[in-house]
Amino acid sequence: MKEIKGLGLIVVLAIVSIVLFNAAFIVDEQEQVIITQFGEPKGEAITEPGLKFKVPFLQVANYFEKRYLEWDGDPNQVPTKDKVFIFVDTYARWQITDPLKYFERLGNERGAQSRLDDILDGETRNAVASHDLVELIRSSNRVAETEGVIADIVNDSLENIQIGRDRIQEQIQELANQRAADLGIAILDFRFKRINYAEEVRRTVYDRMISERNRIADKFRSEGQGESSRINGEKERELLRIQSEAFRSAETIRGRADAQAAAIYNAAYNKSSAARELYAFVKSMEAYGKTIDKETSLIISTDSEFYRYLNSINR
Amino acid sequence: MAQEPNFEFNLPPQFEQITKNIRWVIVGFVAIMAGFSSFFTVETEEVGVVMRFGKYVSEARPGLNFKIPFIDQVKYVPVQRQLKQEFGYRTTSSGVNSSYRKAGYGGESLMLTGDLNLADVEWVVQFRIDNPYNYLFKVRNADETLRDISEAAMRQIVGDRTVNEVLTVGRAEVASEAELIIQAIVDEYELGIKIEQMVLQDANPPDPVKPSFNGVNEAEQQRETLINQARADYNRVIPRAAGEAEQTIQQAEGYALSRVNTAEGEVSRFNDLYSEYIKAPEVTKTRIFLETMEDILPKMGKKIITDEKGNSVIPLLQLQMDGARTTTNSNQ
Repeated sequence: MKEIKGLGLIVVLAIVSIVLFNAAFIVDEQEQVIITQFGEPKGEAITEPGLKFKVPFLQVANYFEKRYLEWDGDPNQVPTKDKVFIFVDTYARWQITDPLKYFERLGNERGAQSRLDDILDGETRNAVASHDLVELIRSSNRVAETEGVIADIVNDSLENIQIGRDRIQEQIQELANQRAADLGIAILDFRFKRINYAEEVRRTVYDRMISERNRIADKFRSEGQGESSRINGEKERELLRIQSEAFRSAETIRGRADAQAAAIYNAAYNKSSAARELYAFVKSMEAYGKTIDKETSLIISTDSEFYRYLNSINR
Repeated sequence: MAQEPNFEFNLPPQFEQITKNIRWVIVGFVAIMAGFSSFFTVETEEVGVVMRFGKYVSEARPGLNFKIPFIDQVKYVPVQRQLKQEFGYRTTSSGVNSSYRKAGYGGESLMLTGDLNLADVEWVVQFRIDNPYNYLFKVRNADETLRDISEAAMRQIVGDRTVNEVLTVGRAEVASEAELIIQAIVDEYELGIKIEQMVLQDANPPDPVKPSFNGVNEAEQQRETLINQARADYNRVIPRAAGEAEQTIQQAEGYALSRVNTAEGEVSRFNDLYSEYIKAPEVTKTRIFLETMEDILPKMGKKIITDEKGNSVIPLLQLQMDGARTTTNSNQ
């Protein structure tokens, strides 16, 4: 009898603990819970974390995230308003704001993600198709700092925009939120993660960039050659100027000296007829001295003055 | 069923002792488990987030900490460690010579600039978790969210600049502005993350365009080289020419001095001679003539004396002398 009593106690204890375990449930910090009874939601969502209780077996706890959840868009190839094909990769963060509605309309996260795909991808495509590319890229009318040389050759400035990236993102978010209003979710932030050219467009952009750079390089090279020629010309002009100025000065100095010398000579040699005679005589004597060497033969006529001198000396 | 009694027969006598005290064994076992479960160690760089029945209770500092066994759960968050996310490349092994891999991450780094060109920008975001509660409970997948934010923010900044600004002058500005935007969005999401630094590793033109960008740099170098060569040439020639000009002028000055001095010297000598000559012109002339002859006659080769009738032989003599110079002194 004692054994049966002990066994019964064990069974009762087991049943009580099973019931208790089924009645109790834990709500984590990042979760919220909807209690359903035979599939029908009961009461408000439980958002406070901690140990909670429900009617065992009859009620089921359905857990939902309370945190910001991620949504990552599919990279779509979309033409912009100005007919440029681009890939747009977007992301969003969303939250379950009304778990009850969410549970009714979407059921679980997979359903929610697929609805978000429909809504956000659709809105993105609409927005891209109704704006020029530059509106999707730029977010302000900032003025670019440009380098003089490059700006001379290629367009180095930024085109002004009417709406801009930030505003387009906000518009998509607003429209998407309107469409998701009765789904119990809210899109908290939507952004373009990546925008890139489609393959063919990218190639033409590369070609354009290459030709722009080549133009800049050509300009640099021709500037170099031009400047080098200018310096060379300056060098040659300077050289000729220096040389000719030196020649002019030198000749002026020489001429002045010649004139001075002539004046000195004239003053001495031309002061009287006797001076002129003496000068002519001395000069012709000097000329003898200069013109005569051992190759020279002298034929002296006996009636020459010189012979007369010699004769008188001999005697 | 028939085998069971056999088992009991084989059991050693000590086992019976254990089976008798089975409840004590279980109680002891549970007590040991509870003991182990009631304390936990938090490493230096971490913080332990304690949750009771799923509810956030407290944060445990590094060291040995206690909790209610089985009920409290601990999540460890490395708040002190500096974490980083790389964009456009990955460090494959870090050390003295870190190696990187870029292939396959072009999608992260290739982006449109404001002038609708393309740039390849690689960067790294260094961050710390500064609020473990927010990090764990505000956003699911906080790390992935930070990646998304970084990519969107970088493209927003680059999208407002020309390709030249991104690649050259505006690099530092791009990094600092992106950091501001990332931090602002992180705060908006309550990610519990603090951006420590945002480093722009590399901003390059896309690979197919790179050679032409390098070509621009080369052309710029060539321009400088050409100009420098021309300047060098100028500097080699002009100062030398200036020196040579100075030399020419000095030579002319020298000539002038010598010319005037010579003239003055000669004139002075002539004047002295003249003042004597004027006193006795004939004698002086004769003396000078004879002195000159004395001087020059010994230097001469042949000396022929003829009378006035012998003038007819002169042509013959000239032939014999065969080209030698002749000085005829007929009458002084």
